[in-house]
Amino acid sequence: MINIIFILSLKLLQKRRNSLENFIVEETKCTPLIKLDASTGVFQLIGKSYPENTFEFYKPMMEWVESYLNNNESKKTVVNLEIIYFNSSSSKLLFDFFDLLEEAYNKGKRIEVNWIYDEENESALEAGEDFKEDFEELKFNLVEK
Amino acid sequence: MAEEIENKLILELNELQDNFQKTTSKLIKDIKRHDKIMARSDKRQKQEYEELQIRLEEIKALSKEIEETQREVVFTMGAIGESRSKETGNHVKRVAEYSKILALYYGLDEKEAEMLKQASPMHDIGKVAIPDAVLNKPGRFNEEERKIMDAHAQLGYDMLKHSTRPLLKCAATVAYEHHEKWDGTGYPNKLKGEEIHIYGRITAIADVFDALGSDRCYKKAWDDEKIFKLFKEEKGKHFDPKLVDIFFQHLDEFLKIREALKDEFVED
Repeated sequence: MINIIFILSLKLLQKRRNSLENFIVEETKCTPLIKLDASTGVFQLIGKSYPENTFEFYKPMMEWVESYLNNNESKKTVVNLEIIYFNSSSSKLLFDFFDLLEEAYNKGKRIEVNWIYDEENESALEAGEDFKEDFEELKFNLVEK
Repeated sequence: MAEEIENKLILELNELQDNFQKTTSKLIKDIKRHDKIMARSDKRQKQEYEELQIRLEEIKALSKEIEETQREVVFTMGAIGESRSKETGNHVKRVAEYSKILALYYGLDEKEAEMLKQASPMHDIGKVAIPDAVLNKPGRFNEEERKIMDAHAQLGYDMLKHSTRPLLKCAATVAYEHHEKWDGTGYPNKLKGEEIHIYGRITAIADVFDALGSDRCYKKAWDDEKIFKLFKEEKGKHFDPKLVDIFFQHLDEFLKIREALKDEFVED
Protein backbone atom coordinates (compact mmCIF):
# COMPACT_ATOMS: atom_id res chain seq x y z
CA MET A 1 0.00 0.00 0.00
CA ILE A 2 2.78 2.39 1.02
CA ASN A 3 4.68 1.35 -2.08
CA ILE A 4 1.76 2.35 -4.27
CA ILE A 5 1.47 5.71 -2.55
CA PHE A 6 5.22 6.17 -2.87
CA ILE A 7 5.18 5.38 -6.60
CA LEU A 8 2.15 7.58 -7.17
CA SER A 9 3.72 10.53 -5.40
CA LEU A 10 6.95 10.02 -7.34
CA LYS A 11 4.94 10.13 -10.55
CA LEU A 12 3.18 13.28 -9.37
CA LEU A 13 6.51 14.91 -8.56
CA GLN A 14 7.82 13.90 -11.94
CA LYS A 15 4.76 15.40 -13.60
CA ARG A 16 5.27 18.63 -11.67
CA ARG A 17 8.87 18.77 -12.72
CA ASN A 18 7.93 17.87 -16.28
CA SER A 19 5.65 20.86 -16.46
CA LEU A 20 8.64 22.97 -15.60
CA GLU A 21 10.88 21.26 -18.10
CA ASN A 22 10.21 23.28 -21.22
CA PHE A 23 8.61 26.58 -21.98
CA ILE A 24 8.24 27.00 -25.72
CA VAL A 25 6.48 29.67 -27.73
CA GLU A 26 6.78 29.60 -31.51
CA GLU A 27 8.04 32.63 -33.37
CA THR A 28 5.50 34.95 -34.98
CA LYS A 29 5.78 38.05 -37.12
CA CYS A 30 6.13 40.33 -34.09
CA THR A 31 7.16 38.01 -31.28
CA PRO A 32 10.33 35.96 -30.86
CA LEU A 33 10.88 32.23 -30.48
CA ILE A 34 11.02 31.54 -26.76
CA LYS A 35 12.63 28.29 -25.75
CA LEU A 36 13.35 27.81 -22.07
CA ASP A 37 14.76 24.38 -21.22
CA ALA A 38 14.70 23.59 -17.50
CA SER A 39 16.64 20.35 -17.86
CA THR A 40 19.64 21.86 -19.65
CA GLY A 41 19.28 25.31 -18.14
CA VAL A 42 19.50 26.98 -21.55
CA PHE A 43 17.12 29.84 -22.28
CA GLN A 44 16.70 31.21 -25.80
CA LEU A 45 14.89 34.26 -27.10
CA ILE A 46 15.35 34.64 -30.84
CA GLY A 47 13.66 37.00 -33.26
CA LYS A 48 11.75 40.26 -33.09
CA SER A 49 9.67 41.64 -30.25
CA TYR A 50 7.05 44.26 -31.03
CA PRO A 51 3.67 42.89 -30.00
CA GLU A 52 0.89 45.25 -29.08
CA ASN A 53 0.29 43.71 -25.67
CA THR A 54 3.85 43.11 -24.51
CA PHE A 55 3.23 42.48 -20.81
CA GLU A 56 0.31 40.18 -21.51
CA PHE A 57 2.41 38.25 -23.98
CA TYR A 58 5.40 37.82 -21.71
CA LYS A 59 3.46 37.19 -18.48
CA PRO A 60 3.48 33.36 -18.75
CA MET A 61 7.20 33.40 -19.52
CA MET A 62 7.99 35.66 -16.58
CA GLU A 63 5.95 33.48 -14.26
CA TRP A 64 7.74 30.37 -15.52
CA VAL A 65 11.14 32.02 -15.05
CA GLU A 66 10.20 33.09 -11.54
CA SER A 67 9.25 29.58 -10.48
CA TYR A 68 12.35 28.18 -12.22
CA LEU A 69 14.57 30.55 -10.28
CA ASN A 70 12.81 29.72 -7.04
CA ASN A 71 13.61 26.01 -7.05
CA ASN A 72 16.96 25.26 -5.58
CA GLU A 73 18.87 23.93 -8.50
CA SER A 74 22.57 24.29 -8.55
CA LYS A 75 23.20 23.94 -12.25
CA LYS A 76 24.16 26.89 -14.38
CA THR A 77 21.59 28.81 -16.37
CA VAL A 78 22.63 30.30 -19.69
CA VAL A 79 20.38 32.92 -21.28
CA ASN A 80 20.92 33.52 -25.00
CA LEU A 81 19.15 36.55 -26.39
CA GLU A 82 19.20 37.25 -30.10
CA ILE A 83 16.61 39.96 -30.54
CA ILE A 84 17.06 41.90 -33.75
CA TYR A 85 14.29 44.39 -33.17
CA PHE A 86 12.19 45.31 -30.15
CA ASN A 87 9.75 48.03 -29.19
CA SER A 88 9.87 50.24 -26.11
CA SER A 89 7.66 48.09 -23.92
CA SER A 90 9.77 45.05 -24.78
CA SER A 91 12.72 47.09 -23.60
CA LYS A 92 11.00 47.62 -20.24
CA LEU A 93 10.12 43.95 -20.14
CA LEU A 94 13.74 42.98 -20.69
CA PHE A 95 14.81 45.23 -17.82
CA ASP A 96 12.29 43.42 -15.61
CA PHE A 97 13.58 40.10 -16.86
CA PHE A 98 17.17 41.00 -16.07
CA ASP A 99 16.01 42.22 -12.64
CA LEU A 100 14.78 38.70 -11.93
CA LEU A 101 18.03 37.19 -13.13
CA GLU A 102 20.22 39.59 -11.18
CA GLU A 103 18.22 39.00 -8.02
CA ALA A 104 18.71 35.23 -8.37
CA TYR A 105 22.38 35.74 -9.20
CA ASN A 106 22.90 37.77 -6.05
CA LYS A 107 21.30 34.96 -4.08
CA GLY A 108 23.90 32.56 -5.40
CA LYS A 109 22.50 31.07 -8.60
CA ARG A 110 24.94 30.67 -11.47
CA ILE A 111 23.59 32.70 -14.36
CA GLU A 112 25.20 33.94 -17.55
CA VAL A 113 23.54 36.20 -20.10
CA ASN A 114 24.65 36.37 -23.74
CA TRP A 115 23.35 39.29 -25.76
CA ILE A 116 23.90 38.18 -29.35
CA TYR A 117 23.86 40.78 -32.08
CA ASP A 118 24.79 41.11 -35.74
CA GLU A 119 27.72 43.45 -36.38
CA GLU A 120 25.57 45.42 -38.84
CA ASN A 121 22.82 45.93 -36.29
CA GLU A 122 24.02 49.03 -34.46
CA SER A 123 20.85 49.53 -32.43
CA ALA A 124 20.98 45.96 -31.11
CA LEU A 125 24.56 46.51 -29.96
CA GLU A 126 23.65 49.81 -28.31
CA ALA A 127 20.71 48.21 -26.54
CA GLY A 128 22.97 45.43 -25.27
CA GLU A 129 25.42 47.99 -23.97
CA ASP A 130 22.61 49.83 -22.19
CA PHE A 131 21.46 46.67 -20.45
CA LYS A 132 24.98 45.65 -19.51
CA GLU A 133 25.52 49.07 -17.97
CA ASP A 134 22.42 48.75 -15.84
CA PHE A 135 23.22 45.31 -14.51
CA GLU A 136 26.75 45.60 -13.29
CA GLU A 137 26.53 42.58 -11.03
CA LEU A 138 25.05 40.15 -13.54
CA LYS A 139 27.38 38.27 -15.88
CA PHE A 140 26.36 39.98 -19.12
CA ASN A 141 28.25 39.24 -22.34
CA LEU A 142 27.97 41.09 -25.63
CA VAL A 143 28.47 38.51 -28.35
CA GLU A 144 28.99 39.54 -31.96
CA LYS A 145 27.50 37.13 -34.47
CA MET B 1 11.09 52.62 30.38
CA ALA B 2 11.47 55.85 28.43
CA GLU B 3 14.70 54.55 26.96
CA GLU B 4 12.94 51.43 25.77
CA ILE B 5 10.27 53.45 24.03
CA GLU B 6 12.89 55.73 22.57
CA ASN B 7 14.84 52.81 21.23
CA LYS B 8 11.71 51.24 19.80
CA LEU B 9 10.84 54.51 18.10
CA ILE B 10 14.36 54.85 16.78
CA LEU B 11 14.17 51.29 15.51
CA GLU B 12 10.90 51.99 13.76
CA LEU B 13 12.23 55.20 12.31
CA ASN B 14 15.38 53.50 11.11
CA GLU B 15 13.27 50.83 9.51
CA LEU B 16 11.11 53.47 7.87
CA GLN B 17 14.24 55.28 6.77
CA ASP B 18 15.57 52.08 5.23
CA ASN B 19 12.34 51.31 3.46
CA PHE B 20 12.05 54.85 2.24
CA GLN B 21 15.61 54.70 0.97
CA LYS B 22 14.99 51.38 -0.77
CA THR B 23 11.74 52.52 -2.34
CA THR B 24 13.08 55.85 -3.55
CA SER B 25 16.22 54.19 -4.87
CA LYS B 26 14.11 51.80 -6.83
CA LEU B 27 11.91 54.61 -8.10
CA ILE B 28 14.94 56.62 -9.16
CA LYS B 29 16.36 53.57 -10.88
CA ASP B 30 13.06 53.04 -12.69
CA ILE B 31 12.87 56.66 -13.78
CA LYS B 32 16.42 56.53 -15.12
CA ARG B 33 15.62 53.33 -16.94
CA HIS B 34 12.50 54.86 -18.39
CA ASP B 35 14.47 57.85 -19.62
CA LYS B 36 16.97 55.53 -21.24
CA ILE B 37 14.20 53.64 -22.98
CA MET B 38 12.63 56.87 -24.24
CA ALA B 39 15.93 58.23 -25.52
CA ARG B 40 16.68 55.03 -27.36
CA SER B 41 13.17 54.86 -28.73
CA ASP B 42 13.40 58.45 -30.02
CA LYS B 43 16.71 57.72 -31.68
CA ARG B 44 15.34 54.64 -33.33
CA GLN B 45 12.18 56.35 -34.51
CA LYS B 46 14.20 59.13 -36.08
CA GLN B 47 16.35 56.64 -37.96
CA GLU B 48 13.38 54.62 -39.09
CA TYR B 49 11.40 57.61 -40.24
CA GLU B 50 14.30 59.02 -42.22
CA GLU B 51 14.96 55.67 -43.82
CA LEU B 52 11.30 55.42 -44.73
CA GLN B 53 11.44 58.77 -46.50
CA ILE B 54 14.48 57.64 -48.48
CA ARG B 55 12.77 54.42 -49.52
CA LEU B 56 9.64 56.32 -50.54
CA GLU B 57 11.70 58.59 -52.74
CA GLU B 58 13.34 55.56 -54.29
CA ILE B 59 9.96 54.04 -55.02
CA LYS B 60 8.75 57.26 -56.59
CA ALA B 61 11.83 57.41 -58.78
CA LEU B 62 11.46 53.77 -59.81
CA SER B 63 7.80 54.22 -60.67
CA LYS B 64 8.67 57.17 -62.81
CA GLU B 65 11.43 55.18 -64.48
CA ILE B 66 9.06 52.32 -65.24
CA GLU B 67 6.49 54.65 -66.72
CA GLU B 68 9.01 56.44 -68.85
CA THR B 69 10.60 53.21 -70.01
CA GLN B 70 7.23 51.90 -71.02
CA ARG B 71 6.46 55.04 -72.92
CA GLU B 72 9.78 55.02 -74.73
CA VAL B 73 9.63 51.35 -75.62
CA VAL B 74 6.12 51.61 -77.00
CA PHE B 75 7.03 54.69 -78.98
CA THR B 76 10.17 53.06 -80.33
CA MET B 77 8.22 49.97 -81.38
CA GLY B 78 5.85 52.19 -83.27
CA ALA B 79 8.69 54.04 -84.94
CA ILE B 80 10.30 50.75 -85.91
CA GLY B 81 7.04 49.66 -87.46
CA GLU B 82 6.95 52.83 -89.50
CA SER B 83 10.58 52.73 -90.53
CA ARG B 84 10.06 50.07 -93.17
CA SER B 85 7.67 52.22 -95.07
CA LYS B 86 10.17 55.00 -94.75
CA GLU B 87 7.81 57.14 -92.72
CA THR B 88 9.61 59.57 -90.51
CA GLY B 89 9.49 59.41 -86.74
CA ASN B 90 7.75 62.76 -86.86
CA HIS B 91 4.73 61.33 -88.67
CA VAL B 92 4.20 59.03 -85.73
CA LYS B 93 4.67 61.90 -83.28
CA ARG B 94 2.27 64.16 -85.13
CA VAL B 95 -0.48 61.58 -85.30
CA ALA B 96 -0.03 60.96 -81.58
CA GLU B 97 -0.38 64.67 -80.78
CA TYR B 98 -3.42 65.09 -83.05
CA SER B 99 -5.01 62.09 -81.36
CA LYS B 100 -4.54 63.52 -77.90
CA ILE B 101 -6.13 66.85 -78.80
CA LEU B 102 -9.09 65.20 -80.46
CA ALA B 103 -9.51 62.94 -77.45
CA LEU B 104 -9.48 65.82 -74.95
CA TYR B 105 -11.94 67.93 -76.90
CA TYR B 106 -14.16 64.91 -77.46
CA GLY B 107 -14.39 64.59 -73.68
CA LEU B 108 -11.91 61.93 -72.65
CA ASP B 109 -9.97 62.70 -69.45
CA GLU B 110 -6.30 63.66 -69.42
CA LYS B 111 -5.16 60.19 -68.38
CA GLU B 112 -7.03 58.44 -71.19
CA ALA B 113 -6.05 61.01 -73.79
CA GLU B 114 -2.42 60.68 -72.75
CA MET B 115 -2.67 56.89 -72.98
CA LEU B 116 -4.09 57.18 -76.50
CA LYS B 117 -1.23 59.48 -77.41
CA GLN B 118 1.26 56.88 -76.18
CA ALA B 119 -0.50 53.97 -77.88
CA SER B 120 -1.05 55.77 -81.17
CA PRO B 121 2.44 55.15 -82.65
CA MET B 122 1.58 51.45 -82.77
CA HIS B 123 -1.41 51.85 -85.05
CA ASP B 124 0.38 50.54 -88.14
CA ILE B 125 2.54 47.95 -86.38
CA GLY B 126 0.87 45.27 -88.52
CA LYS B 127 2.76 46.65 -91.49
CA VAL B 128 5.92 44.86 -90.36
CA ALA B 129 4.27 41.74 -91.75
CA ILE B 130 3.56 43.27 -95.16
CA PRO B 131 6.13 42.43 -97.85
CA ASP B 132 8.31 45.25 -99.21
CA ALA B 133 7.01 44.92 -102.74
CA VAL B 134 3.50 45.77 -101.58
CA LEU B 135 4.39 48.12 -98.74
CA ASN B 136 6.57 50.40 -100.85
CA LYS B 137 4.89 50.08 -104.22
CA PRO B 138 4.87 53.52 -105.86
CA GLY B 139 1.73 53.02 -107.91
CA ARG B 140 -1.83 51.94 -107.20
CA PHE B 141 -2.58 48.53 -105.76
CA ASN B 142 -4.32 45.80 -107.65
CA GLU B 143 -7.02 43.86 -105.85
CA GLU B 144 -4.65 41.28 -104.42
CA GLU B 145 -2.12 43.84 -103.26
CA ARG B 146 -4.95 45.84 -101.66
CA LYS B 147 -6.04 42.77 -99.72
CA ILE B 148 -2.51 42.13 -98.47
CA MET B 149 -2.07 45.73 -97.39
CA ASP B 150 -5.42 45.92 -95.67
CA ALA B 151 -4.52 42.87 -93.63
CA HIS B 152 -2.17 45.04 -91.55
CA ALA B 153 -5.07 46.09 -89.35
CA GLN B 154 -5.94 42.51 -88.37
CA LEU B 155 -2.26 41.61 -88.14
CA GLY B 156 -1.52 44.53 -85.85
CA TYR B 157 -4.39 43.54 -83.60
CA ASP B 158 -3.23 39.92 -83.51
CA MET B 159 0.22 41.07 -82.45
CA LEU B 160 -1.09 43.14 -79.56
CA LYS B 161 -4.25 41.46 -78.37
CA HIS B 162 -2.59 39.12 -75.88
CA SER B 163 -1.49 41.79 -73.47
CA THR B 164 -3.56 42.78 -70.45
CA ARG B 165 -1.66 46.04 -69.98
CA PRO B 166 -4.04 48.99 -70.49
CA LEU B 167 -1.60 50.75 -72.80
CA LEU B 168 -1.20 47.75 -75.08
CA LYS B 169 -4.92 46.95 -75.03
CA CYS B 170 -5.48 50.51 -76.22
CA ALA B 171 -2.85 50.02 -78.93
CA ALA B 172 -4.54 46.78 -80.01
CA THR B 173 -7.86 48.58 -80.43
CA VAL B 174 -6.23 51.41 -82.35
CA ALA B 175 -4.42 49.00 -84.67
CA TYR B 176 -7.60 47.02 -85.24
CA GLU B 177 -10.07 49.82 -85.89
CA HIS B 178 -8.25 52.80 -87.34
CA HIS B 179 -9.36 51.84 -90.85
CA GLU B 180 -13.00 51.41 -90.00
CA LYS B 181 -15.31 54.03 -91.47
CA TRP B 182 -18.28 55.77 -89.89
CA ASP B 183 -20.62 54.56 -92.65
CA GLY B 184 -19.58 50.90 -92.27
CA THR B 185 -17.50 50.63 -95.44
CA GLY B 186 -14.18 50.28 -93.67
CA TYR B 187 -12.04 47.26 -92.75
CA PRO B 188 -11.37 44.70 -91.36
CA ASN B 189 -14.83 44.29 -89.75
CA LYS B 190 -17.07 46.88 -91.45
CA LEU B 191 -17.99 48.41 -88.09
CA LYS B 192 -20.43 51.30 -88.23
CA GLY B 193 -20.85 54.57 -86.33
CA GLU B 194 -20.28 54.26 -82.61
CA GLU B 195 -19.60 50.51 -82.94
CA ILE B 196 -16.15 51.74 -83.80
CA HIS B 197 -14.22 52.40 -80.63
CA ILE B 198 -13.55 56.10 -80.08
CA TYR B 199 -9.82 55.33 -80.18
CA GLY B 200 -10.26 53.98 -83.72
CA ARG B 201 -12.39 56.92 -84.87
CA ILE B 202 -9.87 59.42 -83.51
CA THR B 203 -6.87 57.68 -85.03
CA ALA B 204 -8.63 57.51 -88.40
CA ILE B 205 -8.91 61.28 -88.65
CA ALA B 206 -5.47 61.95 -87.21
CA ASP B 207 -3.81 59.46 -89.51
CA VAL B 208 -5.58 60.62 -92.68
CA PHE B 209 -4.94 64.28 -91.92
CA ASP B 210 -1.25 63.62 -91.55
CA ALA B 211 -1.06 61.29 -94.54
CA LEU B 212 -2.73 63.76 -96.86
CA GLY B 213 -0.49 66.56 -95.70
CA SER B 214 2.75 64.59 -96.25
CA ASP B 215 4.59 63.31 -99.27
CA ARG B 216 4.37 59.56 -99.63
CA CYS B 217 6.03 57.12 -101.99
CA TYR B 218 2.83 56.88 -103.96
CA LYS B 219 1.73 60.51 -103.98
CA LYS B 220 2.66 64.08 -103.17
CA ALA B 221 1.23 66.09 -100.28
CA TRP B 222 -2.16 67.74 -100.77
CA ASP B 223 -2.87 71.47 -100.41
CA ASP B 224 -4.68 72.40 -97.23
CA GLU B 225 -7.74 73.57 -99.16
CA LYS B 226 -8.04 70.16 -100.75
CA ILE B 227 -7.64 68.43 -97.39
CA PHE B 228 -10.34 70.53 -95.72
CA LYS B 229 -12.70 69.96 -98.63
CA LEU B 230 -12.24 66.21 -98.30
CA PHE B 231 -12.85 66.30 -94.57
CA LYS B 232 -16.11 68.16 -95.08
CA GLU B 233 -17.17 65.65 -97.71
CA GLU B 234 -16.21 62.67 -95.54
CA LYS B 235 -17.98 63.97 -92.44
CA GLY B 236 -20.45 61.25 -91.55
CA LYS B 237 -19.01 58.98 -94.24
CA HIS B 238 -15.43 58.09 -93.37
CA PHE B 239 -15.24 60.16 -90.23
CA ASP B 240 -17.25 60.66 -87.06
CA PRO B 241 -19.11 63.96 -87.66
CA LYS B 242 -18.49 65.12 -84.11
CA LEU B 243 -14.76 64.67 -84.54
CA VAL B 244 -14.75 66.57 -87.83
CA ASP B 245 -16.43 69.48 -86.06
CA ILE B 246 -13.85 69.38 -83.31
CA PHE B 247 -11.12 69.30 -85.94
CA PHE B 248 -12.34 72.47 -87.63
CA GLN B 249 -13.08 74.22 -84.34
CA HIS B 250 -9.46 73.77 -83.26
CA LEU B 251 -7.79 73.80 -86.64
CA ASP B 252 -5.16 76.27 -85.49
CA GLU B 253 -3.88 73.81 -82.88
CA PHE B 254 -3.51 71.04 -85.44
CA LEU B 255 -1.68 73.31 -87.87
CA LYS B 256 0.61 74.46 -85.09
CA ILE B 257 1.60 70.86 -84.33
CA ARG B 258 2.12 70.11 -87.98
CA GLU B 259 4.47 73.08 -88.26
CA ALA B 260 6.32 72.27 -85.01
CA LEU B 261 6.86 68.63 -85.92
CA LYS B 262 7.30 68.94 -89.66
CA ASP B 263 9.64 66.57 -91.44
CA GLU B 264 13.05 67.96 -92.12
CA PHE B 265 14.33 66.63 -95.38
CA VAL B 266 18.02 66.64 -96.06
CA GLU B 267 18.89 67.06 -99.70
CA ASP B 268 21.02 64.17 -100.95
